[in-house]
Order: sequence, then C-alpha cells, then structure tokens
Amino acid sequence: MTRTGALPPRLRRTLAPHTPHCYRHCQQPLRGRTVNGPAPGWLCVYACPGGAVSVVTYSEWTNDDPTARLLPFLRAHTGPSTLVRRRDLRLARRHGPELGAEAERILGRVIPSRAITTVYWRLYPFKRKDGTVLRPFACFRHRRLGVQFFVAPGDSGAPRCSHCPAPKK
Amino acid sequence: MPTPQRLTIVLAPWCPHCVPLSVTQGRRLARRLRVPLRLLDIDRPAQEKAADRLVRRYGDDAPDYLIPQVFLEWSDGRVQHLLTGFSEEVPRTARAWADLLRSAWLRATLRGARA
Repeated sequence: MTRTGALPPRLRRTLAPHTPHCYRHCQQPLRGRTVNGPAPGWLCVYACPGGAVSVVTYSEWTNDDPTARLLPFLRAHTGPSTLVRRRDLRLARRHGPELGAEAERILGRVIPSRAITTVYWRLYPFKRKDGTVLRPFACFRHRRLGVQFFVAPGDSGAPRCSHCPAPKK
Repeated sequence: MPTPQRLTIVLAPWCPHCVPLSVTQGRRLARRLRVPLRLLDIDRPAQEKAADRLVRRYGDDAPDYLIPQVFLEWSDGRVQHLLTGFSEEVPRTARAWADLLRSAWLRATLRGARA
C-alpha cells in the first residue's frame, strides 16, 4: 500500500510515453526525469539532452485536483515566476481501463475508486519583441535548489540558469 | 440494470489526438457498445457550450482544458468520464484507446448490456 496520493512505481510505468521527442526544439529523444516536487505526488520533467523542456507532469493517485499544490512549487522554481500561468496547467484523470490490464487490476482493487490525476505544465515557445524565440529549459545541476526552470533562446545549445556560475573567459 | 446510451467526444479538428485518432476509435467503441456517437467541436460556438458544460461537470476541467475528452452516458442519467488525451504525445493517446478497447471494463459492460 502507499499513502494517499502517492503513486507506486508500477503505476508510474503505465503513464510513460512511448517514444517521445523534443517538442518544437530538436528531434532528440526526451528523457523523463523524476525530480523532488510537492508531496505526495510524482513530478516528472520531460526534457531533451540540451535541457529544453517539452512538458512537466505531476501525478497523484487521487480524485482531487492537485493543481493548488503544484502551482506554488513551479513558481518557486521558475525564473521569473510569472512564466507559470494557471491557464498553462491542464488536468487529466487516468482511469484503469485506459492504462492497460495491470493498472486496471491495481486501480480496481481500491474502494472507493480513485483515478490517477495528472497536471500537465506545457509552456509553449514565445517571441520576444526583437523576434527572438524563447522556450523553457530546465537546469538539474543544483542539488540544493532542486530543478530550476527558466527561458532562453530556442537555438541555445545547453543554456545555464541564473544560479549557474558564468563560464570562465 | 443501467445500459450505455450515448458516447460523446469533445474535440477540435486541428488536434492530432482528436482527428483522425479519437474519431476512428470512438466510432469503434460506439459500435461495440451499440450506442450513437456524438462529436462536440469546441471551435463551433453552438457545440462549444455543450462541450464546456460536459467538461466542467463531469470531465477534466481547466481554463484551457485538454482534448479529446470522452464520455459515456448511461440510462440512469450517469455520465462517465472515460478518457482524456495524453499531452505527452499522440502515440500515448493511441495506446490509451487501444487499452480501453480491450479492457476488462469494456468486456464487463458488454456482458451487462447483453444480459
């Protein structure tokens, strides 16, 4: 058993995408990284090797909407925090029948029934006044600070966040 | 015993999770359940209102909610949310449809409808 809301690894596996590729940035495969996020759910950042974020997912085993828990976390880890808008957070409940036989069995054993509720944060690339296209990146380098989200020009290789030391000249 | 009455998909024609994937799979599911299929296009004002109402009351609501969303209406008035598209990628939504069509839930529903 897991505590209310927590998602056991067997259920996490059922949510994984097939062969995801970077969204509107490069054709590199995405890697889903589990990062420390708000309890009790599972926060996963899908980013390409260059750090460009395609989507961030937060899932809990609950029928309640966990958006209120995720929003302050994302704002605290995003520079500037105004990039995290409520309208970019989208909700989806996942029921057993759409997740395959194993998940259907696991979810079916719980009474009253609970779905897996996922909140997606997808920040679409946008244009600055000078025409530069900015897109979201994630920095995983700072263990103490946890994941850091920021925007940078889409064509930058692997940009650094504001907490990274400037490169030596 | 309540029986399925109608399948509804809230969708948009420009969404690759919706057209053709969910329309095709929705037709297949409706055929198996022997119910009519209703498509609610969020880009058509008349259908958008009904779609918003359905999503707000029974679906996965958000200021800019995800599509497609699939609902099954039952003879006792219950509306069951079945599926919401996966934001990660279209093949993941395709897998969700495939799993739904071979689920134990569907087999049980068909048995119940025949009884």
